[in-house]
Amino acid sequence: MLCTVAACGDNAPIGGDTGAEASGITGNYAGAGASSQQAAVEAWISGFTSKNPGTSISYNPTGSGAGVTTFLTGATAWAASDKALSAKEVQESKSVCGSGTAFDVPVYISPIAVTFNLGGLEPAKDGRTHLNMDAPTIAKIFNGSITRWNDAALQQQNPDVKLPDLPITVVHRSDKSGTTQNFVEYLKAAAPDDWKYDLSENWPNNVGQGAKGSTGVVNTIGQANGTIGYSDLSTIGTLGTVDVKVGDQYVTPSPEAATKAIADSQIAKNLEGANRVVIDVNHTTSADDAYPVVLVSYDIVCPVYKDEGTTKFAKAWLTYVTGEAGQRMAQRAAGSAPLPQNIVSHIRTSINAMGADAQDQKEDR
Amino acid sequence: MSDSRNDNSQQSSATPVIDFDKFKPTRSYTAARKRKDIAMHVLIVMAFVIACIPLISVLWTTLVNGIHRFNWDFLSHNMTNVIGGEATATNGYGGILHAIVGTLEITAGAMVISIPVGIMCSVFLTEYRQTGRLSRMIHLLVDVMSGIPSIVAGLFAFSMFAILAGPGTLNGFEGSVALSLLMIPTVVKTTEEMLMIVPNDLREASLALGVTKQRTITKVVLRTALPGIVSGSILAIARVIGETAPLLMTAGYIVSTNANLFSGQMTTLPVFVYQEYSKLRANCPVGSSASCVTTIPMERAWAAALMLILIVLVLNLIGRIIARVFAVKTK
Repeated sequence: MLCTVAACGDNAPIGGDTGAEASGITGNYAGAGASSQQAAVEAWISGFTSKNPGTSISYNPTGSGAGVTTFLTGATAWAASDKALSAKEVQESKSVCGSGTAFDVPVYISPIAVTFNLGGLEPAKDGRTHLNMDAPTIAKIFNGSITRWNDAALQQQNPDVKLPDLPITVVHRSDKSGTTQNFVEYLKAAAPDDWKYDLSENWPNNVGQGAKGSTGVVNTIGQANGTIGYSDLSTIGTLGTVDVKVGDQYVTPSPEAATKAIADSQIAKNLEGANRVVIDVNHTTSADDAYPVVLVSYDIVCPVYKDEGTTKFAKAWLTYVTGEAGQRMAQRAAGSAPLPQNIVSHIRTSINAMGADAQDQKEDR
Repeated sequence: MSDSRNDNSQQSSATPVIDFDKFKPTRSYTAARKRKDIAMHVLIVMAFVIACIPLISVLWTTLVNGIHRFNWDFLSHNMTNVIGGEATATNGYGGILHAIVGTLEITAGAMVISIPVGIMCSVFLTEYRQTGRLSRMIHLLVDVMSGIPSIVAGLFAFSMFAILAGPGTLNGFEGSVALSLLMIPTVVKTTEEMLMIVPNDLREASLALGVTKQRTITKVVLRTALPGIVSGSILAIARVIGETAPLLMTAGYIVSTNANLFSGQMTTLPVFVYQEYSKLRANCPVGSSASCVTTIPMERAWAAALMLILIVLVLNLIGRIIARVFAVKTK
């Protein structure tokens, strides 16, 4: 063969500081879960394996639900999910963890853009067109009560533009999606009077048309004038974005603005299971320049695995991805928002509780 | 009266004179036939053209979109250390080496399983049990199997390995098992057709010379049908090499090269195309160099699709060459 089997065709490691530390970990480890994290996880794998060349890590972007299910069978070392674990799933994890129950920590924050395609608007400096909307307006568009672009509520918030008399076509995800879940969470929290549907990963109503995946939504919006939908900010290209009303100002989506909204959020309390860091996103934040439509995606791991090597790997992996360098890599690869400092300190505590030694100490106390 | 009878008898004894002019088609009748002929000609040619449009359009679109990123760097690297839309150290944007290795190995695994099983099954059906309840049942099962959706084959392999090797097992061989399920019916059907058209005289001649049945089957029947069996098998491979759904759930997805069919996840070309398509856009951080390409996932997907078409084309060529080399030489 032309090359050694293990490294056949590998690209040269990326230059610069990837931030991972050599930890002497070796072996094959697999993760599965949210497709939203894919680009970031691939960058993390590159960063991690460049310092730990003995490891081979695979990530299968099967979707959040499938990722958690696979994790609960014990087939993967970690799961990535757009949704925190349910109490039932935490209980089930007892059978796959060496001791204790699985816990989730946020690793990936990404702004969800409300994106539209409307001709006749003047692009701003960033090459995208912008419209101002507050939460009730967005909710009314997506629940079907505002049906035309020149609706009074829209025109009133955008006095500088002449909105066309054109029907609004809503485009939403047709598949189960964490993006949908996080988007409707925002609508429900910020516009409770106009959004009365239950929270779900499936789109709750019959307004507009469905499209599969972020790809489908963005393509559909790109093809027709007068469409509006929602998708991860990094996927929308040059489509228009809605500046969302926060407090008294309209905030343009950006990773930095998303971080500010998370920094203004609380950690959920009274959860089933120990060590869990679940962000209760403050969708009604009024912090300066905070953008509250945010996707928070978690990594789910066990505190201790049945296999000691996996415990070491999971601890090193989480330390890396939630660390400053790991977050920088994700921002570079996926345009995500870095974790805010107040959340990171909680995550540190959880990571320090991993490993057999730490668990023993806790029981001694 | 008598005269007229006489006349008749005379006429019948002589060669009958046929008035061909009477049967001559009228001019309008000929014109109608010609019109009909032309109309049908046009319809048939049009049907041919319509059937060709999608084929040529698919090939052309894939070629035009795929050629852009189709180069040696793309073929000789995998997707490790590819960050967003940035260029790698070799000025490439990642590649499909791992997917090519995966596709070839998994398909080879499926061939090893399904071609012997398929050929032996059809030998049983044509040489041993032409009629009867068992052969009717096998025929029915083969028909049903050839219609099962590929995702069901994937589910079967997935659950089989979950029982045998622990829950959530993913490896290349699992994909081979799923694909072989889809291949076997095609192999059985084409091989059976080929064995049926082997003339019975050949079998009888061979048996009459005292050759055993086993040698008759291997040296006469299968040998005569070999070119057909080979092209049938190639068809079956072409059918499964582009399968995405069963491989998505059985073989998994990995960015580095895994050459071990029996351990660890493997990426195949169709799955690679699907994953790259789902990514849609790569991120280029603010202030990144001009070599950062946001649309690179789509371009990679097209180039990988082009590679898949090329592999199928090469397989078909190999099949044709084998069939020609092994064709029974008449005289």
